[in-house]
Amino acid sequence: MKILIIEDEAALLSVIRDALGREGYITEIAADFDQALDKISTYEYDCILLDIMLPGGSGLELLSEIKKNKKKEAVIIISAKDSVEDKVNGLDLGADDYLAKPFHLAELNARVKSAIRRKNQNGDHKVQWRNITLDPDNRTVVVNNADLLLNRKEFDLLYYFVTNPNRLINKTSIAEYVWGDYTDQASSLDFVYSQIKNLRKKLSTAGADADILSVYGVGYKIS
Amino acid sequence: MRKRSLKNFTLRYLVLAILGVIGIWAGVFYVVIIEEVYDNIDDGLKDSKDHIIKEAASDPGILNTNAFGIAQFKITKLPGGWHETGNQIYNSKLYIPQEDDEASVRMLRTVFKKDDQFYRLEVYASTVEEDDLIENILTALVMLYIALVLSILLLNHILLKKAWKPFYRILEKLRPYKLGAAGKFECADQKIREFDDLEKDLAAMIQRNESIYTQQKQFIENAAHELQTPLAIASGKLELFMDEGSLTERQLLKIEEVSNTLNRLKRMNRSLLMLSKIENNQFRAAEKVNFNKIFNELADEYDSLIQFKAIQVQIQENGVFEFEMNRELAIVLVSNLLKNAIVHSEKDKWVEITITSGSFRIQNEGTLPLDEGFIFERFSKGKQNAHSTGLGLSICQSICNLYGNMRFRYFFKEGHCFEVAVS
Repeated sequence: MKILIIEDEAALLSVIRDALGREGYITEIAADFDQALDKISTYEYDCILLDIMLPGGSGLELLSEIKKNKKKEAVIIISAKDSVEDKVNGLDLGADDYLAKPFHLAELNARVKSAIRRKNQNGDHKVQWRNITLDPDNRTVVVNNADLLLNRKEFDLLYYFVTNPNRLINKTSIAEYVWGDYTDQASSLDFVYSQIKNLRKKLSTAGADADILSVYGVGYKIS
Repeated sequence: MRKRSLKNFTLRYLVLAILGVIGIWAGVFYVVIIEEVYDNIDDGLKDSKDHIIKEAASDPGILNTNAFGIAQFKITKLPGGWHETGNQIYNSKLYIPQEDDEASVRMLRTVFKKDDQFYRLEVYASTVEEDDLIENILTALVMLYIALVLSILLLNHILLKKAWKPFYRILEKLRPYKLGAAGKFECADQKIREFDDLEKDLAAMIQRNESIYTQQKQFIENAAHELQTPLAIASGKLELFMDEGSLTERQLLKIEEVSNTLNRLKRMNRSLLMLSKIENNQFRAAEKVNFNKIFNELADEYDSLIQFKAIQVQIQENGVFEFEMNRELAIVLVSNLLKNAIVHSEKDKWVEITITSGSFRIQNEGTLPLDEGFIFERFSKGKQNAHSTGLGLSICQSICNLYGNMRFRYFFKEGHCFEVAVS
């Protein structure tokens, strides 16, 4: 899987590259508009992470370029602006997702995986890890060939873990992911704890070949 | 103090001033006229005197007129000796038998000598008509005063209305003006220099304030934006670091503390951005939003949290509340208030949502009213909530402020009530 990261901030670029590299993706980078345009028109990628504000031009221009060339890449816009208009414009132009800075890397992973999964035309859209299969479109889970009934938050949680297997995801990141985050983080982290406890119970009862482990009270990890 | 209008204010002084001027003028006028009248009468009396004395020389019978009768004079023989022969003129009262009344008269008393005998001659002229004159003058003056005041009233009314029209127009334009709002203050070409100056100065002042305001807003927004990338870098690096697996528990916990602090900073920055975007009117798109639907959807969304906290949430729908506004903001508004109520509720307490056709109210149990002046202030927060940025309610207020007829208020009635109503 090849991912192109278009981002002018070198430090952020390296963080994203590191994070995606750990997931086994091959990453390429472009730090400005021309470089990005060059790479887009020359190579094929599975996913493109696109910053909107770039030296030399707008990310949205690049996006229309990608779409004009009927490229099949999944495009995720990464923007510091988090403005509704940008989001709407980006999605209208054919972006697959929109991620506002600052984001958790686990969330980026989840989004990249979703975007690639949705673009995957000749396969099923399900996410599988060990004997757990999630169908994000129908929000159903199959463990050990049997349906597992989860409530909405539990499904979101499991999806988050499965798209970030074997990685430590900290509590705040989990809370923000399942909670959505309009303004304040309203829930206490106890809530996350109780949700995870329920999920663990359900997974082990269903005979899942996975467990969610607490890591020193800092976060959780599925393995 | 009750404020007087400009018209009444000037009118009051004008009426008083005219009263004073007319009073003084009436006094002076009266004195001059009376002087003139007496002068006239006195001349007449002197004439009569000369006439009588001359007449007495040829007709001694006249000397026997010793009482006032038809003749309006009397002559008294004086005892022997020398007498001063000067004229004395004075006002007096005299009984007039014909009229059977005392009358004011002007009396001339003199002494003349005929054949070595001194006689006193007293001649009078009635001054009754002068009283009439004074009366008439006074009446005329009062009427003049009334006429003057009335005409000034009228003139004042017309003139002030005309002259101050631009002023009132400026006031009218100024009244709905709001800093940073869309309506601009436009200059009309005024005919009166002062008003023209006033309007130009006002426009210049508004321009200055607007530009400072815009700059500051821009600054806040830019600062918040610019912070997003470094925040993303820092928290990303920490996340990667925590995931490395070679860290001890102690180290991991330390990093987590830093990460939590960063997360708070991220949330605060996001809230600030949200606030500045609301205030910069960046949520323009509007549609008819059904709040009943939003409440039900969000209550569903927060269901697991509600269950976890064991709170009773009840939605009482007495009507359908629909309002033309930005959908995203409506969701932010409701979710902030709902989260606020849920977070501040303890186990086994209730939250009640009441929706009517023109308002909705979120009520949660509480014992002590909150300080109304304080809760809407930015960065204010209760003691128990370490995760709050203190911006949630001010975001709600900013959203309601965005829509002119939407009111947001807090009151305490069997619990904390936050109400959004449309007028």
